[in-house]
Amino acid sequence: MTADQISTALDRPGTTATSGPARLADRPRTSMTARRHRAFYMFTSPWIIGFLLLTVTPMAYALWLSFTTFDGISPNWRYVGLGNYRELMNDPVTWDALGRTGLFAVTSVPLSIIAGLGLAVLVNRPIKARGLFRTLLYLPAVVPPVGAGLAFKFLFDQNSGATNGVLTIFGIDAIGWLADPYARYVLLMTVLWAAGNIMIISLAGLQDVPRELHEAARIDGASSWRTFRSITIPLLSPVLLFQTVTGMIASVQTIMPLLLAPLGDTGGVTTVPQSNYLYMMHVFAQYFALGRYGYASALLWVLFVLILIATGLIFKFTSGAVFYNVDPEAKK
Amino acid sequence: MPAHAGAPHSRRRFLAMSAGGAVAGAAALSGCAMQVSSGVSGKGETITAMVNSGDILPEQIKQAHKELGIKINLVRYDITKLIAMLTSGNPPDLVRGVGAVDLPFFAARDVAEELDPYFARSSVLRLDDLDPVNDLWRFDGRTQGKGPRYGMAKDFSQDSMYWYNTAAFDKAGVDYPPETEPITFEEWLDNAKRLSQRKNGQTTVFGGSYWGLTRSTLLATLTASAGGSLFTDDFSRVDFTTPEARKALTWCIDYCKARVGTSLIQPDPNGWDGPTYQAGRLAMSNSGYWLGGMIYPDKKLAEVSRLAPAPVFAGGPRISACQGGTGLWMPRGAKNKDAAWRVFEWFFGEEPAKARASGGWGIPTLKSLRSLMPAQEDYQKRVLKVQESELKHFSVVSFTPYTRADALDALFNQIAPAAMNGQISVDTLAGRLNSAINEQLKRGKEQVG
Repeated sequence: MTADQISTALDRPGTTATSGPARLADRPRTSMTARRHRAFYMFTSPWIIGFLLLTVTPMAYALWLSFTTFDGISPNWRYVGLGNYRELMNDPVTWDALGRTGLFAVTSVPLSIIAGLGLAVLVNRPIKARGLFRTLLYLPAVVPPVGAGLAFKFLFDQNSGATNGVLTIFGIDAIGWLADPYARYVLLMTVLWAAGNIMIISLAGLQDVPRELHEAARIDGASSWRTFRSITIPLLSPVLLFQTVTGMIASVQTIMPLLLAPLGDTGGVTTVPQSNYLYMMHVFAQYFALGRYGYASALLWVLFVLILIATGLIFKFTSGAVFYNVDPEAKK
Repeated sequence: MPAHAGAPHSRRRFLAMSAGGAVAGAAALSGCAMQVSSGVSGKGETITAMVNSGDILPEQIKQAHKELGIKINLVRYDITKLIAMLTSGNPPDLVRGVGAVDLPFFAARDVAEELDPYFARSSVLRLDDLDPVNDLWRFDGRTQGKGPRYGMAKDFSQDSMYWYNTAAFDKAGVDYPPETEPITFEEWLDNAKRLSQRKNGQTTVFGGSYWGLTRSTLLATLTASAGGSLFTDDFSRVDFTTPEARKALTWCIDYCKARVGTSLIQPDPNGWDGPTYQAGRLAMSNSGYWLGGMIYPDKKLAEVSRLAPAPVFAGGPRISACQGGTGLWMPRGAKNKDAAWRVFEWFFGEEPAKARASGGWGIPTLKSLRSLMPAQEDYQKRVLKVQESELKHFSVVSFTPYTRADALDALFNQIAPAAMNGQISVDTLAGRLNSAINEQLKRGKEQVG
């Protein structure tokens, strides 16, 4: 029972403490309800306090910063009103970074979902050593991004990396993978490399698809592809929507370009090749390299609003395509 | 209606209580944080030092506790954390910094403690014993190198010098550079091209890296070597269009285009020259004396490694600046200044300083410790001779107080690759750099006041 339902129940005639003859009889119930209320709030309060302290407070602080020229320590900062937001609208570097980020999101999210779903379908089949394959394919997803970044840097180094070593065996000249214009492909590979995350969620979704539906389709003569398209995908659509939304948010906030840069720390953020200079890299550069806390905070707030809009648009345009396996009337 | 026992909490009241709890939590956290570094002064106290791992070793912390009776709490250096600590009024007692570029920034913002009174009464760190490199830690409110002292370098190198591998020169049939007379930058680049070896699009031996400690110090020292100054007299602007700065910028872009060593368009996955030089895949490394600390333990490598003077531009002055001078400074708001100063003295003048001097990782910053520099082996004697000769040409290339070097590097890194890839000319690059960097300096000047 939710807090709303509890409150509604308390408002019903005969259940409140002021309803005359029922008063004495209801006292134990009211006391029990109050205890349940207390328990509810006690259990949720750590999260709510954490949310207020670690999310709402920093966001409010960043919003305040975004109206200033604060650089962290200088004494003479001042309020600039919407000045940082106006500058942002006219900053070509910001727009370029935003454009690259959008392109990265619309490329990497579908690719990683397709790769993750494909792997999930493969390891959902009754094959030998299925558990081993599932473990191996999921393993890259648990490697910390810093380690993954380092491994990719050495694998794709032009002069000593294994990738170019293989290419030269076949007589192909070495490629400068970590510099423009190839760096963007390495970034995409790092995303696909961790497709195990999507695989594991898709696998859970696949195992939830009723087997009878597949059997019925097979009896009706449907091909495997038709069954996948008409039964599996619709039933997986809530999972796919979840992956699209979380994937989109993760892709616009990715820090992988920084980890692939020669100096993989916040100070070295501007050594990121231009093709990987995404919006978050621009934010990092403004905060930590240029010390423009106000401007960087404005950039972050704009990103937050854009993410909200993008999420809303995804929900709006997919509302008819997502199949929820629940009785819509049950809610009412 | 007053709340009474058993009454359900309203959501508004609950949220208000949560917010109160959050504020109380924040205050408690802040209180706890303050307790970390607030100590007492003198013996038996605790100080907080924000340094990199390796600056102060665990055994040295034990040694300090034993010898000085002061406990040192280490916090890993992180500029964002430092700024947060300074802003919250809870700074460390000692902080690592790069004298060449950090000091003007922090001193101009009035967050660094003037150390002249401490030096005046110190018997360990005598003013007449300080190497001139410590002038990088002086700032008179406008110019670096003059005025009160705010810190001290732990060791230093003349960072425009370079090491070279004689085996790589022999293999390529290139004459060794002279060890006491400088070659020109043009000759250096020509050598680097001849020393580079490539196969199937891969560079098997890099001719030479010349990338400075930071891009901004590299460009400032290159411009000084060309006879000019990158910054205007009041350090509020840069001008890359002067003949000297343009010469420096042109050489820098030519170096990148030649792809003979690390640069923005040819990144080194290691992030520094050491591993590539050690593997014999780098013929010349733009590193000062400090690289000897890595070279000497490998006797085979040490036998073929030599140090050479900083190159010059034809017709330009002979300048050999220190682009680092890394050391410690004391924040003005430090809670345990006396204890911090005692640790400062110990770190710069006693056992840790002696250990650093004999390790070969840099030139000691006290003249009295020079005799401890490694000179047992012939190769060490040879290097020391070159270094001693180079010290005569030491100079301070002042840096602007209006921004950090990271900011100038960031802008250079964003704008310059187009010139390195041949998409824009050096003149266009100079104009764009002027515009972006001067805007950043203008903002900084406004904030310093």
